[in-house]
Amino acid sequence: MSKSLPPIELSDIYAIGQILTQATDWKSALDKIIQRIRPAFIFDNLVVYLLDPRLNVLEVTYAKATGRGHSAQAEVAWGETISSQVLQSRCTILQEPDETSEERLKRPYLLATPLQIHQEIIGTIVFIRFGGPAFTNEAIQFGEYLAGNLSMLINYQNKEHELSTVESLRRTLRAQGDFIATLSHEIRSPLGFIKGYTTTLLRPDAQWDLPTQQQFLRIIDQETDRMEKLLQNLLDSAQWESGRVQMDWQPVRIEALLHDLTLRFQTHHPELQIELHIEQPLPLIQGDPRRLSQVFDNIVINSLKYAPNSPVIISAERTANQIELCFEDHGPGISAEYLPMVFERFFRGPEQAVRADGSGLGLFICRQIILAHQGDIFITSQPGEGTKVHIQLPSPPADPALSVEAR
Amino acid sequence: MTPHILVVDDEIQYQHLLRVNLEAEGYIVSTCSDGESAVEFVANNQPDLVILDVMMPRLDGFTACERIRQFSNVPIIMLTGKTEEQDRVHGLNLGADDYIAKPFSATELIARVRAVLRRFSPQERAPQQRYFTHGNLRIDFARAEVWKEDKPIYLSATEYRLLIQFAHNLGKVLTPEELLAAIWGEHYREDKEILWVSIARLRQKLEDNPHSPQHIVTRSGLGYLMPPIEKES
Repeated sequence: MSKSLPPIELSDIYAIGQILTQATDWKSALDKIIQRIRPAFIFDNLVVYLLDPRLNVLEVTYAKATGRGHSAQAEVAWGETISSQVLQSRCTILQEPDETSEERLKRPYLLATPLQIHQEIIGTIVFIRFGGPAFTNEAIQFGEYLAGNLSMLINYQNKEHELSTVESLRRTLRAQGDFIATLSHEIRSPLGFIKGYTTTLLRPDAQWDLPTQQQFLRIIDQETDRMEKLLQNLLDSAQWESGRVQMDWQPVRIEALLHDLTLRFQTHHPELQIELHIEQPLPLIQGDPRRLSQVFDNIVINSLKYAPNSPVIISAERTANQIELCFEDHGPGISAEYLPMVFERFFRGPEQAVRADGSGLGLFICRQIILAHQGDIFITSQPGEGTKVHIQLPSPPADPALSVEAR
Repeated sequence: MTPHILVVDDEIQYQHLLRVNLEAEGYIVSTCSDGESAVEFVANNQPDLVILDVMMPRLDGFTACERIRQFSNVPIIMLTGKTEEQDRVHGLNLGADDYIAKPFSATELIARVRAVLRRFSPQERAPQQRYFTHGNLRIDFARAEVWKEDKPIYLSATEYRLLIQFAHNLGKVLTPEELLAAIWGEHYREDKEILWVSIARLRQKLEDNPHSPQHIVTRSGLGYLMPPIEKES
């Protein structure tokens, strides 16, 4: 009735080993193995059922039909019943047809074996031959060998998937942890000075002359301001994060804002040299003047802090559909590796963090404000030569109702 | 004699705060802004007390503390923003004598400094030694560097720790279990093979002839030692 199949060779087993170790996913590995092992091991239908552990039901995950199985499609046995039996008995089951029907499709030979990791069954694999040949001992052993290797591969892939889930969870947690650590450091630092200098003044066993007392009190005062500013920034950034910021939209004249800014810095920081190059006239834009001023102020203060001896050159020009602003200094610049991070909340360059105080929130807030104007802000820098902060604001005016939503 | 205190903190403001308070007590105060220069300062100036901040650029406070301990038992107070218990324990394990958590009050600072100075009178302290010489070998504990004649020898962190274990126990036989526990940790007590490999590698790097070692000698059945070198005429 059926001619005997060629034996499975050792070289086949080695080839399967290689396919398994190089596999990126178990389904394509199974495809390759099936191809490689034929005709020593044949079947009409092959099905892999995996156990859904939550519902404790078997789910078809892989099915392959060749020859007779292919033409019969859904009309024939696909091993559902035998799979459930395997699940219960936890061992390989062989099922042979007892009646001799004329039609081969009615005489299926089934070999079903569990897929398991340690003691846990994760699914089953079923091989079906319509009308024989019957599964020999060698074929059964091979089926179990394949099931074992497949189980390992499936398990490995599941673990890989779990790992990437855990990994991304860990990243989120770490970002939160960093946030809290930075925050507590930023709050503790001014608090430490306020506590330190206050208790210094209160020391019962030490006398301080008047100028020293004044000096300590000035430090306490400055540190209180620093904390106040930090809290304000924190509140701002939290509002931007949650999208609860109210914008006060109105027509804004950028050159007026820039002239005000120059004037303000001349009063409070006469040592700072600001050059203003404006290509007149700039179009009116729709914006929130107070917040735009906040952005410009922040950028100039950054230059003042990190490039203390450099002039700040501000230029503004109009292009076809936007206003382009550039704030340039000739300070130490920012190295390329940190550029992508400067707009992140609490990011501070390691060298900057030592040189000057700051919360690492300023540029984050600036970016949120510019984005709310449907504009763009970015930094270019040559270490050793200076830094340029570019701002692009759309004109004609953007639709103000859209802009907050669009973040 | 007026005690000399080294204050190490990367924030100038903290240096100032500590300085004014300590100087009001009559102490002599020096300051450093990072761990590396602090270790160097201790090696060269032998202060009576070090107040060491934990979070610092270049060499953090913990590492600086560990390195200072290799050549000096100057009392160390860790100054830390981290108040978690494990950080405190970590600091104390590395050889710190006390710690003060930021924010701190000036009175607490002074009280702790006084207490630590009282506990460690200068007489009790062993002579401080930055360099260790053994034949043609020289260890600079402050920089964690090893020299053979005039050539630097590059050791892995484990090899370095193994070597200074011998240097600190000159002439004493150290059992494999002791060495494994001290350098790799308690769990490694039985893993003799790692020790053998590491000693073999260390000899390759240090010895003129690794088969007839002069620096790290085997005492069959007992362990290993760095033999004392007899002064030759």
